[in-house]
Amino acid sequence: MVSARSVSVTPSSLTYSDHTWIIQHREDRCTLCGQCTAVCPRSAIYLAHRRQRIPKLDVFAHKRETEYRNFTGIRQKTEMQNSCIGCAMCEMVCPNEAISPLPNANENRSLFYHNGKGEPYKRGGRRNATGPTLLDRIMFDRISMLTDPALDAGRHEFNITTSLGRVLPPEEFLEKSKNGGWIPPTREIFPFVIGSMSFGALSPNMWLGLLQGVAYCNEVLGIPVVMCTGEGGCPPWVLKSPYLKYIILQIASGYFGWDEIIRAIPEMKCDPAAIEIKYGQGAKPGDGGLLMWYKVSKLIARLRGVPEGVDLPSPPVHQTLYSIEESVMKMIQTLSTAFSHKVPVYPKISASTSAKSVLNNLVRNPYAAGLMIDGIDGGTGAAYDVSMNATGHPVASNIRECYLDLAAQGKQNEIPLFAAGGIGKNGNVAQNGMALIMLGASGVHIGKYIMQAAAGCLGNEKNRCNVCNVGICPKGITSQNPKLYRRLDPDLVSQRVVDVFMSIRTEVKKIMAPLGRSQSLPVGMSDALGINDKDAAERLQIKYVC
Amino acid sequence: MTIPVVKGLDEQGQRLDSMDFEKLVFQAAKKAPELLLETYGQHNIGIRLEREGGLTLRLKGPAGQRLGCMGMPGTEIICEGAASDDVGYLNIGAEITVRGNATNGVCNAMANGKVYIAGSIGARGLTMTKWNPDYQRPELWILGSTGDSFAEFNCGGIAVVCNVEAKNPQNVLGYRPCVGMVGGTIYFRGPIDDSYSKTNAKLQALDDDQWQWLRERLPGYLEKIERPELLDELSVREEWQALMAVSPQERALMFSGPMPMAEYRNTFWNNAFGGGDPLRDLAPGLDRSTIDAIVTGEMRRYKPWWANSEKAAPCTYYCPIHIPTVDRLRLIREGRIDEAYELVLGYTPLPGSVCGAICPNLCMENCSRGGVDQPIEMQVLGRSVSRHQSLKIADPLGKKVAIIGGGPGGMNVAWQLALEGVEAHIYERDDKLGGKLAQVVPWERLSQAIWDEEIRRFVETPNINVHLNTDMDKESFTKLHDEFDYVVIAVGTHKPRKLQFPGSNKVIPALDFLKKAKSDNTTKVGKEVVVIGAGNVGCDVACEAYRLGAEKVTLVDIQKPLAFGFEKEAAEKHGATFLWPIVTKEVTDEGLITEDGDLIPAQTVIISIGDVPALPFLPGSVETVTVGGASWIKTDEAHLTSDAKVMAIGDVERPGLATNALGAGKTAAEYILANFKNIPWQPFSKEVIPLQTLTITHYVPESAGSSENEQANRCLSCAACRDCHLCETICPTGAISRREITQKEVAGVPVEADYEYVSDDEKCIACGFCADTCPCGIWTMNVY
Repeated sequence: MVSARSVSVTPSSLTYSDHTWIIQHREDRCTLCGQCTAVCPRSAIYLAHRRQRIPKLDVFAHKRETEYRNFTGIRQKTEMQNSCIGCAMCEMVCPNEAISPLPNANENRSLFYHNGKGEPYKRGGRRNATGPTLLDRIMFDRISMLTDPALDAGRHEFNITTSLGRVLPPEEFLEKSKNGGWIPPTREIFPFVIGSMSFGALSPNMWLGLLQGVAYCNEVLGIPVVMCTGEGGCPPWVLKSPYLKYIILQIASGYFGWDEIIRAIPEMKCDPAAIEIKYGQGAKPGDGGLLMWYKVSKLIARLRGVPEGVDLPSPPVHQTLYSIEESVMKMIQTLSTAFSHKVPVYPKISASTSAKSVLNNLVRNPYAAGLMIDGIDGGTGAAYDVSMNATGHPVASNIRECYLDLAAQGKQNEIPLFAAGGIGKNGNVAQNGMALIMLGASGVHIGKYIMQAAAGCLGNEKNRCNVCNVGICPKGITSQNPKLYRRLDPDLVSQRVVDVFMSIRTEVKKIMAPLGRSQSLPVGMSDALGINDKDAAERLQIKYVC
Repeated sequence: MTIPVVKGLDEQGQRLDSMDFEKLVFQAAKKAPELLLETYGQHNIGIRLEREGGLTLRLKGPAGQRLGCMGMPGTEIICEGAASDDVGYLNIGAEITVRGNATNGVCNAMANGKVYIAGSIGARGLTMTKWNPDYQRPELWILGSTGDSFAEFNCGGIAVVCNVEAKNPQNVLGYRPCVGMVGGTIYFRGPIDDSYSKTNAKLQALDDDQWQWLRERLPGYLEKIERPELLDELSVREEWQALMAVSPQERALMFSGPMPMAEYRNTFWNNAFGGGDPLRDLAPGLDRSTIDAIVTGEMRRYKPWWANSEKAAPCTYYCPIHIPTVDRLRLIREGRIDEAYELVLGYTPLPGSVCGAICPNLCMENCSRGGVDQPIEMQVLGRSVSRHQSLKIADPLGKKVAIIGGGPGGMNVAWQLALEGVEAHIYERDDKLGGKLAQVVPWERLSQAIWDEEIRRFVETPNINVHLNTDMDKESFTKLHDEFDYVVIAVGTHKPRKLQFPGSNKVIPALDFLKKAKSDNTTKVGKEVVVIGAGNVGCDVACEAYRLGAEKVTLVDIQKPLAFGFEKEAAEKHGATFLWPIVTKEVTDEGLITEDGDLIPAQTVIISIGDVPALPFLPGSVETVTVGGASWIKTDEAHLTSDAKVMAIGDVERPGLATNALGAGKTAAEYILANFKNIPWQPFSKEVIPLQTLTITHYVPESAGSSENEQANRCLSCAACRDCHLCETICPTGAISRREITQKEVAGVPVEADYEYVSDDEKCIACGFCADTCPCGIWTMNVY
């Protein structure tokens, strides 16, 4: 009997159980409506016609014949380029619960074929490391009951803001106020910032949905949330809108979209919240940024001033910067000057053992408004797997070291540190953020949490979906194809942003109230922290509790 | 009867502590229904006092904290002046009147009873009240205003706040009242700052029942605080409002933010960008409106396309002549036998002899049916065309072409040209047509009956002129070159390749041997024969040697023998042995001596290591290329030589199968015809259809059969729609339909279907089921 397969099989052919995700299809429930194959972002599934041989053997009657049965079902393709990513859009559209992808519990061999054409595996998402993070394990163990004023998160008034910008020491401030002199700009912002995700990395509907939610938080709810543009510029109409004040403009080594920003400066109705200079990203430190060609649509090309459909790398280093001193001085001064020294300008670096060197340079630079440190658990739109999984530094001890370094110099209240990287990775966004704040951060940036909570991003740390790099995001969050991003309703995104920030605000109160704090964020209040891990406690200089 | 007095100061004028004072009051209350308490700041006045028939406590002097604390039903407490914190704390029924202001915490956790305040109160009044339905609701009446955080977690209490001589007339309920309020009602008069907790309380006008409740009780309250004159002032219904608790069910329906997002977008967001989409300058006309995950029309990511006959079936693709077997079998299925044969004869004059006999059938080797059971039997198909006669001949074009060599290549050039009305002259050196097919292929492999029939059909075809026994030299070639529009060289290879070793003159070339063997005048061979060179021709030699009387034939080769297919099988069947690697050192009368000195006995030694072209007539204008010590004519894709009037096909270009020569002949003829007709020459350019695009599981294995009809039914019709309607049936949205179209014809023969299947863009969701189902691989899903 000749095989009925149309596909030739070789010793390195892959089969279903070699793949990361296995499609389970129940023929008894399938209505053959075609919705699963229509929606699949990878064309990973197809309608299979199978033939079964049914021998009819009757030994007593000396009769033998072969009958055949044909049947149909949805099957997954086993070619790497069509490998199922587990997004489960098929399951979502199935009217009859007939199909779903299941994670392969076995070792999957497809990993060995992730480097087609000699190109190592690239993806979006976050480090594939599951389980509770260190931040998840930190407890807020200093509960004031009858000791300090006992506070009720539900009824007491809280002031949940943090300072973004350089704060002068009192004597210097008084001297400058009295005698005239430049007082560095500061902003009072909500300590949870929507981290840098560019117009380009995100779809237009996602990016504008986020901004609409941020504007609502500020203008209707009075929660002073700000968001960072990431490196992809900002639509000119947004630059000229009153919402610019809720936006941190990012500048990075690719300088995408900065011509439009500079062009819009004379027409700006307000100043931006701040300028972030990106030197590094926690997810892929030392690797630069990359917007792959799939996502450089006509619109993105127009905003960024680049050809359509080309790869857009932001190199790991700025071409005109050769040393820390130069980086700090030249960039911060230029950008501070561009906005009349009225906008805080701070650098963003990858968490690193060298972070303290950067910080010490910033301390000496009067224009530096803060330092943003992005840890290894951060997310990205596109990076090599090896960069995402194995390169970088966790944010907690890095922030802690920097903070304690500032405290040793008595400068901890002068230059704010911001932390990012995996905050809310397991959903505990307020807990993670407040742990970092009590370790010494003035605030945190959240990116992937927002994508998951506000727009239903499907990615996880078991490599589900994580195809942000190639523009096929099935939710329309990171795609530039209108056929995909129009699936995303910006109103719903903004509504969810509002829901998220209202609930973060409540949770922050629930954390602050037992500490007896209501009017100032407990930055560096590490006496309130405990962890049931002696080594971590020692490293972070917090209590070991058990 | 005098009212007993309990004094708060002892004889020395020292204040009694609260414990002692309470004991005195407790004892006194057992004896009299009314007491006058000259208090001096003692706390918890009125606690645990209950007297049948009621008890009245009248306070003169400063009251301490928690006045009326845990007050019982029937107890009335009247405080002549102001009161301190927590008036009515945990009160379960006492009626407490304060004829002045009260401080913080009034009525905290009160469950029943009434508290009448003649002034204003401090913060956190009416918090945590309860209401047990077996009893009356607790009530708090305030003439002035409340402090901040009023009615937090209020569960059942009713408050009336009158805003008369209020401490805070601008905001009579203070800052942020009603946090966590789950029950009760707050009636108030006058302005508030709107800071009440919106998720806990809702503001409304009094309904009739509420107004009646308030009107009925106002005179009694004013009586208690001795301000009856205020009744008219407080009796303006429009001045009163109520804050009522929001139920959890109501709250679940509320967005916890104060404004619906759509309203925010319409009112503020859109206007912030100069009244339009913020991307309108970057991308004019960009539509960002929301679509579903499953879409039809323009928003699909893929679009199906019925790519009928856009690719080639493997049989057609791999056949050097590109015979469209799939179309031929379709015509047979449709019962159009004659048209099917005409179609094949449009490609080759020798289907029976070549396709049906001597061709190794690359078509079958690549046939998709092999994935189901076994390939289509091409030999059956080839032979069935050998007798077909009726041919359509086109009108004369007034052109003539000379063809040197009457082998299969030359014959096909002449055939193709003749059918199209070109006068074709074949100049053949031998006394018969067919080249090596006629001269050397043993009759056991090529039925003479079929061969003769096909040669007869060929020769009888108009426009074909055959000149046999015509040698070609430079002079005669020049003449042809001058007289004809084109000269096609198709002389093949007729000079045997030889090796030099001692005794090589004793060796017979295979070509000579085979020609002689097939002639009427055959030779004798020895009992033992050695054949040097074990390819397919060597095998033919072996077979012929056996036929002519040999008893043992040994084929030797310096490498693994290249022989394959039925030539090899035939030789093996006769008993031929293959030896390799053998290098010939010498040939003697005893036989072949190998380099190792072994003797392979033989009376006849034949060498079969290939033939090379003999081109003594070739003019200098035709370039050649030297490969393996022989000259071959250099040609381009169209088989044109460096002389624009001279073409060359077949083995003179490079050695190949008879089918390669036939294919080259067809291509060359097409080139010539295109030039005669002044139309662009279009070589065969279709790609082969990938096997995985077919759905072969629709077919079940069965025996191949020996008839043409059985082959027609077994054909998978790769790349050509077989009109099975499966796509129409499987399409889940009913998007696919079939419609009739005008049929496309080539030379009067319909080459494509007279129908097509189309997919309706407005119904199609691009599921790809049509492509996944199509047995022939016609439907493709294109990125859209």
